[in-house]
Amino acid sequence: MIRKPAPIPLRQTGEVEIDVRDVTIAFERDGGELVPAVDRVSFQVRRGEFICLLGPSGCGKSTLLNAVAGFESPYEGEVVVAGKSVTGPGPDRGVVFQQPRLFPWKSVKANVAHGPRMAGKSRAEAGAIADELIEMVGLTRSANALPHTLSGGMQQRVAIARALANRPGILLMDEPFGALDAQTRSVMQESLLRLWAQLDTTILFVTHDIDEAVLLADRVLVMSAGPGRIIRDVAVDIPRPRTIETTLGADFQALRRECLDLIRQQSQKAFEGNTDA
Amino acid sequence: MADISTSAVVPPRAAGSLAASGAKRRRDARLRQRLNMAVGLVSIPLFLLLWQLIAQAKIVNPILFPAPTVVARAAMEWVASGEFAQDLAASLKRVATGYVVGSIVGVGCGLLTGRSAFFSGLLGPLFQVLRPIPPIAFVSIVILWFGLSESGKVFLIVWGVFFTVWLSTHLGVQKVDQGLVRAAQMLGTPRRRLVGEVVLLSALPFIVVGLRTAVGISFYTLVAAELAGAFAGIFYRIQLAQQNMQTGLVFAGLAALGLISFIADRCFAMLAQRLVWWR
Repeated sequence: MIRKPAPIPLRQTGEVEIDVRDVTIAFERDGGELVPAVDRVSFQVRRGEFICLLGPSGCGKSTLLNAVAGFESPYEGEVVVAGKSVTGPGPDRGVVFQQPRLFPWKSVKANVAHGPRMAGKSRAEAGAIADELIEMVGLTRSANALPHTLSGGMQQRVAIARALANRPGILLMDEPFGALDAQTRSVMQESLLRLWAQLDTTILFVTHDIDEAVLLADRVLVMSAGPGRIIRDVAVDIPRPRTIETTLGADFQALRRECLDLIRQQSQKAFEGNTDA
Repeated sequence: MADISTSAVVPPRAAGSLAASGAKRRRDARLRQRLNMAVGLVSIPLFLLLWQLIAQAKIVNPILFPAPTVVARAAMEWVASGEFAQDLAASLKRVATGYVVGSIVGVGCGLLTGRSAFFSGLLGPLFQVLRPIPPIAFVSIVILWFGLSESGKVFLIVWGVFFTVWLSTHLGVQKVDQGLVRAAQMLGTPRRRLVGEVVLLSALPFIVVGLRTAVGISFYTLVAAELAGAFAGIFYRIQLAQQNMQTGLVFAGLAALGLISFIADRCFAMLAQRLVWWR
Protein backbone atom coordinates (compact mmCIF):
# COMPACT_ATOMS: atom_id res chain seq x y z
CA MET A 1 0.00 0.00 0.00
CA ILE A 2 2.74 2.41 0.95
CA ARG A 3 4.95 3.01 -2.02
CA LYS A 4 8.58 3.35 -1.27
CA PRO A 5 9.73 6.72 -2.62
CA ALA A 6 11.70 6.38 -5.80
CA PRO A 7 15.30 7.51 -5.52
CA ILE A 8 15.65 11.07 -6.72
CA PRO A 9 18.49 11.97 -9.04
CA LEU A 10 20.81 14.47 -7.44
CA ARG A 11 20.04 17.98 -8.54
CA GLN A 12 22.11 19.60 -5.84
CA THR A 13 25.75 18.78 -5.59
CA GLY A 14 25.81 19.29 -1.80
CA GLU A 15 26.46 16.50 0.65
CA VAL A 16 23.79 14.99 2.86
CA GLU A 17 23.14 17.48 5.68
CA ILE A 18 20.10 15.96 7.37
CA ASP A 19 19.80 12.18 7.50
CA VAL A 20 16.63 10.85 9.11
CA ARG A 21 17.07 7.11 9.61
CA ASP A 22 14.07 4.87 10.37
CA VAL A 23 12.72 7.30 12.93
CA THR A 24 9.72 6.24 15.02
CA ILE A 25 8.21 8.60 17.57
CA ALA A 26 5.25 7.54 19.69
CA PHE A 27 3.05 9.33 22.15
CA GLU A 28 1.34 7.81 25.12
CA ARG A 29 -2.45 7.62 25.27
CA ASP A 30 -4.20 8.07 28.63
CA GLY A 31 -4.34 4.31 29.14
CA GLY A 32 -0.58 4.04 28.67
CA GLU A 33 -0.97 2.63 25.15
CA LEU A 34 1.80 3.78 22.81
CA VAL A 35 0.61 5.19 19.51
CA PRO A 36 3.18 5.94 16.83
CA ALA A 37 2.91 9.50 15.52
CA VAL A 38 5.77 8.97 13.10
CA ASP A 39 6.49 5.43 11.94
CA ARG A 40 9.86 4.32 10.49
CA VAL A 41 10.44 7.47 8.47
CA SER A 42 13.63 7.91 6.49
CA PHE A 43 14.69 10.77 4.26
CA GLN A 44 17.75 12.78 3.40
CA VAL A 45 18.24 16.46 2.76
CA ARG A 46 21.26 17.77 0.91
CA ARG A 47 23.08 20.96 1.76
CA GLY A 48 21.33 24.03 0.39
CA GLU A 49 18.08 22.23 -0.44
CA PHE A 50 14.65 23.61 0.35
CA ILE A 51 12.45 20.69 1.47
CA CYS A 52 8.78 20.86 2.42
CA LEU A 53 7.12 18.25 4.61
CA LEU A 54 3.51 18.29 3.47
CA GLY A 55 0.66 16.42 5.08
CA PRO A 56 -2.78 16.62 6.62
CA SER A 57 -3.03 17.89 10.17
CA GLY A 58 -2.07 15.29 12.76
CA CYS A 59 0.23 13.38 10.40
CA GLY A 60 3.25 13.90 12.64
CA LYS A 61 5.12 16.34 10.39
CA SER A 62 5.75 18.78 13.25
CA THR A 63 6.85 15.88 15.46
CA LEU A 64 9.34 14.91 12.78
CA LEU A 65 10.63 18.48 12.57
CA ASN A 66 10.97 18.57 16.36
CA ALA A 67 13.08 15.43 16.19
CA VAL A 68 15.46 17.15 13.76
CA ALA A 69 15.45 20.23 16.02
CA GLY A 70 16.30 18.01 18.99
CA PHE A 71 13.15 18.79 21.01
CA GLU A 72 11.88 15.21 20.64
CA SER A 73 14.02 12.12 20.89
CA PRO A 74 13.08 9.23 18.60
CA TYR A 75 11.85 5.98 20.20
CA GLU A 76 13.65 4.13 17.41
CA GLY A 77 16.06 5.23 14.73
CA GLU A 78 18.14 8.37 14.74
CA VAL A 79 18.54 11.77 13.18
CA VAL A 80 21.99 12.61 11.91
CA VAL A 81 22.84 16.23 11.14
CA ALA A 82 26.15 17.08 9.48
CA GLY A 83 27.46 13.64 10.39
CA LYS A 84 26.54 13.83 14.08
CA SER A 85 23.63 12.16 15.84
CA VAL A 86 21.15 14.70 17.23
CA THR A 87 20.82 14.59 21.03
CA GLY A 88 19.26 17.99 21.71
CA PRO A 89 18.60 21.45 20.31
CA GLY A 90 21.57 23.49 19.19
CA PRO A 91 22.59 26.69 17.43
CA ASP A 92 23.50 24.79 14.25
CA ARG A 93 19.76 24.37 13.62
CA GLY A 94 17.70 27.58 13.74
CA VAL A 95 14.00 27.03 14.34
CA VAL A 96 11.05 29.23 13.35
CA PHE A 97 7.88 28.15 15.15
CA GLN A 98 4.28 28.67 14.14
CA GLN A 99 4.02 31.34 16.85
CA PRO A 100 6.87 33.90 16.81
CA ARG A 101 7.90 33.03 20.40
CA LEU A 102 10.00 36.17 20.69
CA PHE A 103 11.31 37.13 24.12
CA PRO A 104 8.70 39.74 25.07
CA TRP A 105 11.11 41.62 27.36
CA LYS A 106 13.71 42.13 24.66
CA SER A 107 13.70 44.62 21.82
CA VAL A 108 13.70 43.34 18.24
CA LYS A 109 17.44 43.90 18.07
CA ALA A 110 18.13 42.16 21.41
CA ASN A 111 15.99 39.20 20.32
CA VAL A 112 18.03 38.78 17.14
CA ALA A 113 21.30 39.37 19.01
CA HIS A 114 20.47 36.72 21.65
CA GLY A 115 21.98 33.79 19.75
CA PRO A 116 25.31 35.47 18.94
CA ARG A 117 25.52 36.70 22.56
CA MET A 118 25.07 33.14 23.82
CA ALA A 119 27.79 32.04 21.41
CA GLY A 120 30.13 34.38 23.26
CA LYS A 121 30.16 37.30 20.82
CA SER A 122 30.66 40.77 22.27
CA ARG A 123 27.72 43.14 22.54
CA ALA A 124 29.03 45.17 19.61
CA GLU A 125 29.61 42.13 17.37
CA ALA A 126 26.21 40.63 18.19
CA GLY A 127 24.59 44.02 17.58
CA ALA A 128 26.22 44.30 14.17
CA ILE A 129 25.00 40.82 13.18
CA ALA A 130 21.51 41.71 14.42
CA ASP A 131 21.45 44.99 12.49
CA GLU A 132 22.42 43.23 9.28
CA LEU A 133 19.71 40.57 9.62
CA ILE A 134 17.06 43.07 10.71
CA GLU A 135 17.86 45.01 7.56
CA MET A 136 17.54 41.84 5.46
CA VAL A 137 14.02 41.26 6.78
CA GLY A 138 13.23 44.96 6.33
CA LEU A 139 12.62 45.95 9.96
CA THR A 140 15.42 48.45 10.55
CA ARG A 141 12.96 51.12 11.66
CA SER A 142 11.50 48.80 14.33
CA ALA A 143 14.86 47.60 15.69
CA ASN A 144 14.30 49.12 19.11
CA ALA A 145 10.61 48.25 19.41
CA LEU A 146 9.29 45.61 21.79
CA PRO A 147 7.75 42.58 20.03
CA HIS A 148 4.17 43.15 21.22
CA THR A 149 4.06 46.47 19.38
CA LEU A 150 4.58 44.71 16.03
CA SER A 151 2.07 42.98 13.75
CA GLY A 152 2.01 39.18 13.44
CA GLY A 153 3.87 39.26 10.12
CA MET A 154 6.56 41.59 11.46
CA GLN A 155 7.00 39.42 14.55
CA GLN A 156 7.49 36.37 12.35
CA ARG A 157 10.12 38.25 10.31
CA VAL A 158 11.95 38.97 13.56
CA ALA A 159 11.69 35.27 14.44
CA ILE A 160 13.29 34.36 11.08
CA ALA A 161 16.08 36.92 11.59
CA ARG A 162 16.66 35.56 15.11
CA ALA A 163 16.83 31.97 13.87
CA LEU A 164 19.42 32.99 11.27
CA ALA A 165 21.59 35.03 13.62
CA ASN A 166 23.81 32.10 14.58
CA ARG A 167 24.42 31.46 10.85
CA PRO A 168 22.95 27.96 11.21
CA GLY A 169 23.52 25.54 8.34
CA ILE A 170 19.91 24.45 8.73
CA LEU A 171 16.70 26.41 9.15
CA LEU A 172 13.74 24.42 10.46
CA MET A 173 10.35 26.05 9.94
CA ASP A 174 7.18 24.70 11.53
CA GLU A 175 4.19 26.17 9.64
CA PRO A 176 5.73 29.60 10.15
CA PHE A 177 3.14 31.43 8.05
CA GLY A 178 0.13 29.39 9.17
CA ALA A 179 -1.15 32.04 11.57
CA LEU A 180 -0.87 34.93 9.08
CA ASP A 181 -3.53 36.33 6.76
CA ALA A 182 -3.38 35.33 3.09
CA GLN A 183 -1.82 38.57 1.79
CA THR A 184 0.87 38.69 4.45
CA ARG A 185 1.59 35.00 3.92
CA SER A 186 2.17 35.48 0.20
CA VAL A 187 4.55 38.40 0.82
CA MET A 188 6.41 36.36 3.45
CA GLN A 189 6.79 33.39 1.10
CA GLU A 190 8.41 35.54 -1.57
CA SER A 191 10.73 37.25 0.89
CA LEU A 192 11.73 33.88 2.38
CA LEU A 193 12.70 32.68 -1.10
CA ARG A 194 14.81 35.81 -1.65
CA LEU A 195 16.45 35.35 1.76
CA TRP A 196 17.20 31.71 1.04
CA ALA A 197 18.76 32.65 -2.31
CA GLN A 198 21.06 35.08 -0.49
CA LEU A 199 22.10 32.66 2.24
CA ASP A 200 23.69 29.25 2.03
CA THR A 201 21.05 27.58 4.21
CA THR A 202 19.29 24.24 4.07
CA ILE A 203 15.59 24.64 4.84
CA LEU A 204 13.19 22.02 6.16
CA PHE A 205 9.72 23.55 6.07
CA VAL A 206 6.56 21.96 7.51
CA THR A 207 3.21 22.96 6.04
CA HIS A 208 -0.26 21.62 5.30
CA ASP A 209 -0.71 24.20 2.53
CA ILE A 210 -0.16 22.50 -0.86
CA ASP A 211 0.37 25.74 -2.81
CA GLU A 212 2.93 26.90 -0.27
CA ALA A 213 4.83 23.61 -0.46
CA VAL A 214 4.98 23.54 -4.27
CA LEU A 215 5.89 27.23 -4.51
CA LEU A 216 8.77 27.01 -2.04
CA ALA A 217 10.31 23.57 -2.25
CA ASP A 218 12.90 21.75 -4.32
CA ARG A 219 11.25 18.56 -3.13
CA VAL A 220 7.93 18.04 -1.41
CA LEU A 221 7.82 15.05 0.95
CA VAL A 222 4.14 14.09 1.14
CA MET A 223 3.16 12.40 4.39
CA SER A 224 0.32 10.05 5.23
CA ALA A 225 -1.92 10.50 8.21
CA GLY A 226 -1.58 8.55 11.46
CA PRO A 227 0.89 6.95 11.73
CA GLY A 228 2.95 9.47 9.77
CA ARG A 229 4.97 8.05 6.88
CA ILE A 230 6.43 9.61 3.78
CA ILE A 231 4.38 8.36 0.86
CA ARG A 232 5.95 10.30 -1.97
CA ASP A 233 8.95 12.43 -2.73
CA VAL A 234 7.77 14.98 -5.33
CA ALA A 235 10.55 16.81 -7.16
CA VAL A 236 9.54 20.39 -8.00
CA ASP A 237 11.56 21.33 -11.08
CA ILE A 238 10.00 24.72 -11.63
CA PRO A 239 12.81 27.16 -12.38
CA ARG A 240 13.75 29.84 -9.85
CA PRO A 241 13.37 32.64 -8.95
CA ARG A 242 9.73 31.88 -8.25
CA THR A 243 7.14 34.48 -7.35
CA ILE A 244 3.41 34.50 -6.79
CA GLU A 245 3.10 34.48 -10.60
CA THR A 246 4.63 31.01 -10.61
CA THR A 247 1.43 29.61 -9.11
CA LEU A 248 -0.43 30.44 -12.33
CA GLY A 249 1.80 28.27 -14.53
CA ALA A 250 0.77 24.87 -15.92
CA ASP A 251 3.79 23.08 -14.40
CA PHE A 252 2.83 24.42 -10.99
CA GLN A 253 -0.77 23.34 -11.42
CA ALA A 254 0.23 19.81 -12.47
CA LEU A 255 2.41 19.35 -9.37
CA ARG A 256 -0.26 20.90 -7.18
CA ARG A 257 -2.75 18.43 -8.62
CA GLU A 258 -0.45 15.50 -7.84
CA CYS A 259 -0.01 16.58 -4.22
CA LEU A 260 -3.69 17.40 -3.84
CA ASP A 261 -4.73 13.89 -4.95
CA LEU A 262 -2.32 12.31 -2.48
CA ILE A 263 -3.45 14.50 0.39
CA ARG A 264 -7.12 13.92 -0.35
CA GLN A 265 -6.65 10.17 -0.40
CA GLN A 266 -4.96 10.45 2.97
CA SER A 267 -7.58 12.71 4.49
CA GLN A 268 -10.28 10.37 3.19
CA LYS A 269 -8.51 7.37 4.69
CA ALA A 270 -8.09 9.15 8.02
CA PHE A 271 -11.75 10.12 7.98
CA GLU A 272 -12.92 6.56 7.28
CA GLY A 273 -10.51 5.22 9.85
CA ASN A 274 -12.04 7.51 12.44
CA THR A 275 -15.63 6.56 11.61
CA ASP A 276 -14.80 2.83 11.82
CA ALA A 277 -13.20 3.16 15.24
CA MET B 1 -35.61 45.31 -2.76
CA ALA B 2 -35.41 48.35 -4.99
CA ASP B 3 -36.41 50.90 -2.35
CA ILE B 4 -33.52 50.41 0.02
CA SER B 5 -31.71 53.71 0.30
CA THR B 6 -27.97 53.79 0.70
CA SER B 7 -25.71 56.57 1.89
CA ALA B 8 -24.00 56.91 -1.47
CA VAL B 9 -25.24 60.48 -2.05
CA VAL B 10 -24.01 62.19 1.15
CA PRO B 11 -22.18 65.35 0.05
CA PRO B 12 -18.51 65.70 0.97
CA ARG B 13 -17.83 67.22 4.37
CA ALA B 14 -16.42 70.73 4.72
CA ALA B 15 -12.97 70.82 6.28
CA GLY B 16 -13.10 71.26 10.06
CA SER B 17 -16.85 70.77 10.33
CA LEU B 18 -16.29 67.97 12.86
CA ALA B 19 -14.28 70.23 15.16
CA ALA B 20 -17.25 71.68 17.03
CA SER B 21 -18.80 68.38 18.05
CA GLY B 22 -15.34 67.02 18.87
CA ALA B 23 -14.62 69.95 21.19
CA LYS B 24 -17.91 69.45 23.00
CA ARG B 25 -17.16 65.76 23.57
CA ARG B 26 -13.74 66.56 24.95
CA ARG B 27 -15.16 69.27 27.24
CA ASP B 28 -17.76 66.87 28.65
CA ALA B 29 -15.21 64.14 29.27
CA ARG B 30 -12.86 66.59 31.03
CA LEU B 31 -15.67 67.84 33.25
CA ARG B 32 -16.62 64.33 34.35
CA GLN B 33 -13.00 63.49 35.05
CA ARG B 34 -12.53 66.62 37.21
CA LEU B 35 -15.67 65.88 39.18
CA ASN B 36 -14.48 62.37 40.02
CA MET B 37 -11.08 63.71 41.06
CA ALA B 38 -12.70 66.34 43.31
CA VAL B 39 -14.78 63.65 45.03
CA GLY B 40 -11.60 61.65 45.66
CA LEU B 41 -9.89 64.71 47.20
CA VAL B 42 -12.68 65.42 49.71
CA SER B 43 -13.03 61.78 50.82
CA ILE B 44 -10.62 61.94 53.77
CA PRO B 45 -11.35 65.56 54.87
CA LEU B 46 -15.06 64.73 54.87
CA PHE B 47 -14.43 61.69 57.08
CA LEU B 48 -12.31 63.78 59.48
CA LEU B 49 -14.95 66.50 59.62
CA LEU B 50 -17.64 63.95 60.48
CA TRP B 51 -15.42 62.45 63.17
CA GLN B 52 -14.69 65.91 64.61
CA LEU B 53 -18.42 66.75 64.77
CA ILE B 54 -19.28 63.48 66.52
CA ALA B 55 -16.45 63.92 69.02
CA GLN B 56 -17.47 67.52 69.79
CA ALA B 57 -21.12 66.58 70.17
CA LYS B 58 -20.02 64.44 73.16
CA ILE B 59 -22.12 61.50 71.99
CA VAL B 60 -19.17 59.24 72.76
CA ASN B 61 -16.54 59.26 75.51
CA PRO B 62 -13.94 61.84 74.35
CA ILE B 63 -11.13 59.93 76.05
CA LEU B 64 -11.84 56.75 74.10
CA PHE B 65 -12.65 58.60 70.88
CA PRO B 66 -10.42 61.67 70.77
CA ALA B 67 -11.27 64.29 68.16
CA PRO B 68 -8.99 64.60 65.11
CA THR B 69 -7.65 67.84 66.52
CA VAL B 70 -6.54 66.00 69.68
CA VAL B 71 -4.96 63.27 67.56
CA ALA B 72 -3.19 65.90 65.45
CA ARG B 73 -1.80 67.59 68.56
CA ALA B 74 -0.54 64.24 69.89
CA ALA B 75 1.03 63.48 66.50
CA MET B 76 2.82 66.84 66.43
CA GLU B 77 4.20 66.33 69.91
CA TRP B 78 5.34 62.86 68.88
CA VAL B 79 7.19 64.28 65.91
CA ALA B 80 8.57 67.30 67.81
CA SER B 81 9.99 65.14 70.61
CA GLY B 82 12.10 63.25 68.08
CA GLU B 83 10.59 59.97 69.17
CA PHE B 84 8.65 59.59 65.94
CA ALA B 85 11.85 59.57 63.91
CA GLN B 86 13.31 56.89 66.19
CA ASP B 87 10.15 54.79 66.06
CA LEU B 88 9.86 55.13 62.32
CA ALA B 89 13.51 54.24 61.77
CA ALA B 90 13.28 51.20 64.06
CA SER B 91 10.10 49.90 62.36
CA LEU B 92 11.28 50.56 58.81
CA LYS B 93 14.58 48.86 59.49
CA ARG B 94 12.80 45.71 60.71
CA VAL B 95 10.36 45.71 57.81
CA ALA B 96 13.05 46.35 55.21
CA THR B 97 15.46 43.72 56.53
CA GLY B 98 12.74 41.09 56.94
CA TYR B 99 11.27 41.92 53.55
CA VAL B 100 14.54 41.72 51.66
CA VAL B 101 15.68 38.50 53.34
CA GLY B 102 12.24 36.86 53.03
CA SER B 103 11.95 37.85 49.35
CA ILE B 104 15.38 36.60 48.38
CA VAL B 105 14.89 33.26 50.13
CA GLY B 106 11.33 33.08 48.74
CA VAL B 107 12.40 33.66 45.13
CA GLY B 108 15.29 31.22 45.54
CA CYS B 109 13.10 28.44 46.94
CA GLY B 110 10.39 29.18 44.34
CA LEU B 111 12.91 28.73 41.52
CA LEU B 112 14.09 25.48 43.08
CA THR B 113 10.64 23.94 43.64
CA GLY B 114 9.21 25.37 40.40
CA ARG B 115 12.00 23.95 38.25
CA SER B 116 12.58 20.61 39.94
CA ALA B 117 9.92 18.01 40.68
CA PHE B 118 12.29 16.50 43.23
CA PHE B 119 12.52 19.65 45.35
CA SER B 120 8.84 20.38 44.81
CA GLY B 121 8.06 16.96 46.28
CA LEU B 122 10.54 17.41 49.10
CA LEU B 123 9.64 20.96 50.20
CA GLY B 124 6.17 21.62 48.79
CA PRO B 125 4.09 19.74 51.41
CA LEU B 126 6.19 21.18 54.26
CA PHE B 127 5.75 24.75 53.02
CA GLN B 128 2.05 24.27 52.41
CA VAL B 129 1.53 23.15 56.02
CA LEU B 130 3.69 25.91 57.52
CA ARG B 131 2.27 28.65 55.29
CA PRO B 132 -1.14 29.04 56.97
CA ILE B 133 0.31 29.48 60.49
CA PRO B 134 -0.03 33.23 61.20
CA PRO B 135 3.29 34.85 62.21
CA ILE B 136 1.69 36.22 65.38
CA ALA B 137 1.35 32.64 66.62
CA PHE B 138 5.14 32.44 66.71
CA VAL B 139 5.60 35.42 69.01
CA SER B 140 5.90 33.32 72.19
CA ILE B 141 8.42 30.88 70.79
CA VAL B 142 10.37 33.68 69.13
CA ILE B 143 10.78 35.41 72.50
CA LEU B 144 12.17 32.14 73.91
CA TRP B 145 14.45 31.62 70.94
CA PHE B 146 15.74 35.12 70.33
CA GLY B 147 14.93 36.99 73.55
CA LEU B 148 14.26 40.67 72.89
CA SER B 149 16.87 40.92 70.12
CA GLU B 150 16.22 42.37 66.69
CA SER B 151 16.79 39.03 64.98
CA GLY B 152 13.59 37.62 66.50
CA LYS B 153 11.54 40.47 65.06
CA VAL B 154 13.20 40.19 61.67
CA PHE B 155 12.58 36.43 61.78
CA LEU B 156 8.83 37.01 62.14
CA ILE B 157 8.72 39.36 59.17
CA VAL B 158 10.83 36.97 57.10
CA TRP B 159 8.34 34.25 58.01
CA GLY B 160 5.41 36.39 56.89
CA VAL B 161 7.03 37.46 53.61
CA PHE B 162 8.69 34.19 52.61
CA PHE B 163 5.64 32.01 51.89
CA THR B 164 3.82 34.52 49.72
CA VAL B 165 6.92 35.18 47.64
CA TRP B 166 7.80 31.48 47.47
CA LEU B 167 4.31 30.47 46.29
CA SER B 168 4.03 33.16 43.62
CA THR B 169 7.53 32.40 42.32
CA HIS B 170 6.82 28.66 42.32
CA LEU B 171 3.61 29.15 40.30
CA GLY B 172 5.25 31.65 37.97
CA VAL B 173 8.14 29.31 37.24
CA GLN B 174 5.79 26.39 36.62
CA LYS B 175 3.80 28.48 34.13
CA VAL B 176 6.89 29.53 32.17
CA ASP B 177 6.14 29.42 28.45
CA GLN B 178 7.88 26.23 27.28
CA GLY B 179 7.88 27.69 23.78
CA LEU B 180 10.22 30.44 24.94
CA VAL B 181 12.45 27.86 26.62
CA ARG B 182 12.67 25.93 23.33
CA ALA B 183 13.40 29.15 21.45
CA ALA B 184 16.22 29.91 23.87
CA GLN B 185 17.58 26.36 23.56
CA MET B 186 17.69 26.37 19.78
CA LEU B 187 19.57 29.68 19.96
CA GLY B 188 22.27 27.92 21.96
CA THR B 189 21.42 29.20 25.46
CA PRO B 190 23.34 26.93 27.83
CA ARG B 191 21.27 25.09 30.47
CA ARG B 192 22.76 27.01 33.36
CA ARG B 193 21.79 30.33 31.78
CA LEU B 194 18.17 29.39 31.00
CA VAL B 195 17.02 30.52 34.46
CA GLY B 196 18.52 33.98 34.14
CA GLU B 197 17.68 34.49 30.46
CA VAL B 198 14.16 33.05 30.29
CA VAL B 199 12.66 31.45 33.41
CA LEU B 200 13.10 34.32 35.85
CA LEU B 201 11.91 36.99 33.41
CA SER B 202 9.02 34.85 32.22
CA ALA B 203 7.90 34.33 35.84
CA LEU B 204 8.53 37.97 36.81
CA PRO B 205 4.92 39.17 36.44
CA PHE B 206 3.88 36.48 38.98
CA ILE B 207 6.80 37.20 41.27
CA VAL B 208 6.02 40.92 41.27
CA VAL B 209 2.43 40.22 42.38
CA GLY B 210 3.79 38.11 45.26
CA LEU B 211 6.32 40.79 46.17
CA ARG B 212 3.62 43.44 46.26
CA THR B 213 1.34 41.33 48.49
CA ALA B 214 4.35 40.76 50.70
CA VAL B 215 4.78 44.53 51.22
CA GLY B 216 1.39 44.61 52.96
CA ILE B 217 2.14 41.41 54.86
CA SER B 218 5.45 42.75 56.13
CA PHE B 219 3.61 45.66 57.79
CA TYR B 220 0.98 43.34 59.34
CA THR B 221 3.77 41.18 60.66
CA LEU B 222 5.57 44.24 62.03
CA VAL B 223 2.79 44.48 64.63
CA ALA B 224 3.39 40.88 65.73
CA ALA B 225 7.15 41.53 65.74
CA GLU B 226 6.88 44.55 68.01
CA LEU B 227 4.51 42.60 70.29
CA ALA B 228 7.51 40.38 70.96
CA GLY B 229 9.05 43.13 73.06
CA ALA B 230 10.70 46.21 71.55
CA PHE B 231 12.34 49.43 72.71
CA ALA B 232 11.25 51.59 69.77
CA GLY B 233 8.86 51.28 66.85
CA ILE B 234 5.48 52.51 65.67
CA PHE B 235 3.50 49.69 67.25
CA TYR B 236 5.70 49.79 70.37
CA ARG B 237 4.63 53.46 70.71
CA ILE B 238 0.96 52.52 70.28
CA GLN B 239 1.20 49.93 73.09
CA LEU B 240 3.00 52.40 75.35
CA ALA B 241 0.41 55.11 74.69
CA GLN B 242 -2.37 52.64 75.41
CA GLN B 243 -0.86 51.82 78.82
CA ASN B 244 -0.76 55.58 79.60
CA MET B 245 -4.30 56.14 78.26
CA GLN B 246 -2.87 58.56 75.64
CA THR B 247 -5.59 57.70 73.14
CA GLY B 248 -4.63 60.63 70.93
CA LEU B 249 -1.21 59.10 70.44
CA VAL B 250 -2.74 55.64 69.89
CA PHE B 251 -4.74 57.01 67.00
CA ALA B 252 -1.76 58.94 65.70
CA GLY B 253 0.19 55.68 65.71
CA LEU B 254 -2.56 53.85 63.84
CA ALA B 255 -2.72 56.64 61.27
CA ALA B 256 1.05 56.47 60.88
CA LEU B 257 0.90 52.68 60.28
CA GLY B 258 -1.83 53.14 57.68
CA LEU B 259 0.00 55.97 55.95
CA ILE B 260 3.38 54.24 55.86
CA SER B 261 2.11 50.99 54.43
CA PHE B 262 -0.01 52.94 51.93
CA ILE B 263 3.04 54.88 50.78
CA ALA B 264 5.11 51.68 50.64
CA ASP B 265 2.46 49.98 48.49
CA ARG B 266 2.27 52.97 46.13
CA CYS B 267 6.03 53.10 45.78
CA PHE B 268 6.06 49.39 45.00
CA ALA B 269 3.30 49.78 42.42
CA MET B 270 5.41 52.35 40.61
CA LEU B 271 8.47 50.14 40.85
CA ALA B 272 6.47 47.15 39.59
CA GLN B 273 5.69 48.95 36.35
CA ARG B 274 9.40 49.36 35.75
CA LEU B 275 10.20 45.81 36.79
CA VAL B 276 7.81 44.39 34.18
CA TRP B 277 8.70 47.00 31.59
CA TRP B 278 7.52 45.06 28.56
CA ARG B 279 3.86 44.96 29.63
